Amino acid sequence: MAASPMLNMKDRTAIAGAGSSVYGRRLMRSPIDLAADALAAALDDAGLGRAELDGLVVSFGTPIGADGDTIAQVLGLKLRAFNQTWAHGRFTASCIQWAALMVAAGMASAVACMASVSFSGLRKPAMGGAGDAEGAREAGGSHGQDPAYGMTSPGAGAALVARRYFERYGATARDLAAIPVAFRKHAALNPGAMMREPMSIDDHQRSRFICEPLRLLDYCLINDGAACVIVTSAERARDLKKPPVYIGGMQPLPAGREEFIWAYPGFGVLQQAVADYDAGLQPVYKMAEVAPKDLDALFSYDAFSILPWIALERFGFCKPGEAAGFTAGGRIELGGALPMNTNGGLLSEGHIMAWNHQVEIVRQLRGECGARQIKDAALIQWANCYGDSLIYHR
Amino acid sequence: MKMANPNYSKPLPAISELNRPYWDGLKNHRLRLQQCAACATIWSPPAPLCPRCWSREIVWTDLSGRGRVNSWVIFHQSYFRGFEGELPYNVAEVELDEGPRLLTNLVGVDHAAIRAGMRVEIVFDEVTEAITLAKFRPIAE
Repeated sequence: MAASPMLNMKDRTAIAGAGSSVYGRRLMRSPIDLAADALAAALDDAGLGRAELDGLVVSFGTPIGADGDTIAQVLGLKLRAFNQTWAHGRFTASCIQWAALMVAAGMASAVACMASVSFSGLRKPAMGGAGDAEGAREAGGSHGQDPAYGMTSPGAGAALVARRYFERYGATARDLAAIPVAFRKHAALNPGAMMREPMSIDDHQRSRFICEPLRLLDYCLINDGAACVIVTSAERARDLKKPPVYIGGMQPLPAGREEFIWAYPGFGVLQQAVADYDAGLQPVYKMAEVAPKDLDALFSYDAFSILPWIALERFGFCKPGEAAGFTAGGRIELGGALPMNTNGGLLSEGHIMAWNHQVEIVRQLRGECGARQIKDAALIQWANCYGDSLIYHR
Repeated sequence: MKMANPNYSKPLPAISELNRPYWDGLKNHRLRLQQCAACATIWSPPAPLCPRCWSREIVWTDLSGRGRVNSWVIFHQSYFRGFEGELPYNVAEVELDEGPRLLTNLVGVDHAAIRAGMRVEIVFDEVTEAITLAKFRPIAE
């Protein structure tokens, strides 16, 4: 049972600035160097000086990105408050939530939230295979890794979910193509996106299997880059350079035997029960006092194309098993009823652990997105297959 | 069973104090998981206490070794040198009749013939002197 809140966080904090480095393959620049670009861009965007930054929350440090303590030392920051998650993509919203809570509690006044990654350049971490730390976890990897049977890599966990989904609900791998095809259309309108050539459903179906039933074009990009947002109080953000992007609602990240990283409770993979899942009205909407139908856009973690389907069902945009129909026919494309990942997503803009998605949300709500701008965008949700969420508005 | 291969090059499981009885069981051709003496729950992966009721009265109990395919994937990409010669290879999630699910490889079945709900039983694969893996093969309903 949810505790009654001691502190109403609705609209108490805001994103005051957003910034990013260049995103690309084999940039051969250190993650600290990339982090510096993103942090400097975000501070400049907010109109804040380095000395005014007193908090930092980093997701995804060693072995893939730059750690928060190193960033603080090397970039000459003087921080009152610092925290970091381990190297998983699922902590993006949690980091922003921690920052908002720290600001609301008076523990920091301006908190940079960020990740830098070097997936392809200087670091080239093992995402699966012999050097992959996930597979060496006691009691198994969090994506289902079990190396003795050859089960390895985050994508294999997503493939296990995709197969189960197809078997349980009758959807097909061809239906799933709607996700990467939609996000590629968005990337074509984004000068900063890495993959901008048109992609058809047939292109998707012709691409090679990586871990069947998932194909190359169901997998996100492997690249380098950094992205950052600055959280301040709403009051302070109103006095800064750009219009505030308010944090209207927050929903935390769950864990437990019913939570497989990429499937909602009752889905029936790993040790989850098989049960009917009913999203109900998710808490984030209650906090933000908005309804899903009010949204101008939805952003979601898309390391693999099946994940947005899971997120849509988890948050009740459609019922379990209905995501294929929901995402067909352009509904999630620009111009559709619920555009998703207008930056092109991890699938086509770049894989910055969805920190690039947070930057895009801020830019959409300020009307800075040029050819891919959603007209009069006022309310946008981050909603994840993991169950975490943020509701942003202008 | 075949002789253990001294040149076995695939990854081997990390043995811990928690999971040692599981691997010892497989070596003796017994599929065993932990069961709670207080509430009868059977679970995987191994835990220091019952995940349901937190009792520490735990026994390692023999299972039927039978179950059904719940989900599966086919690896086309090489991640481990030891699996390279077997691409494409399958990894399946088998739901044991007693409830817990195990990740495993299906043997004796064409990939195109794998189906959700397919009935399977355990095959003890002695891959090294020390390690026996739990693999599964299709059986009749």
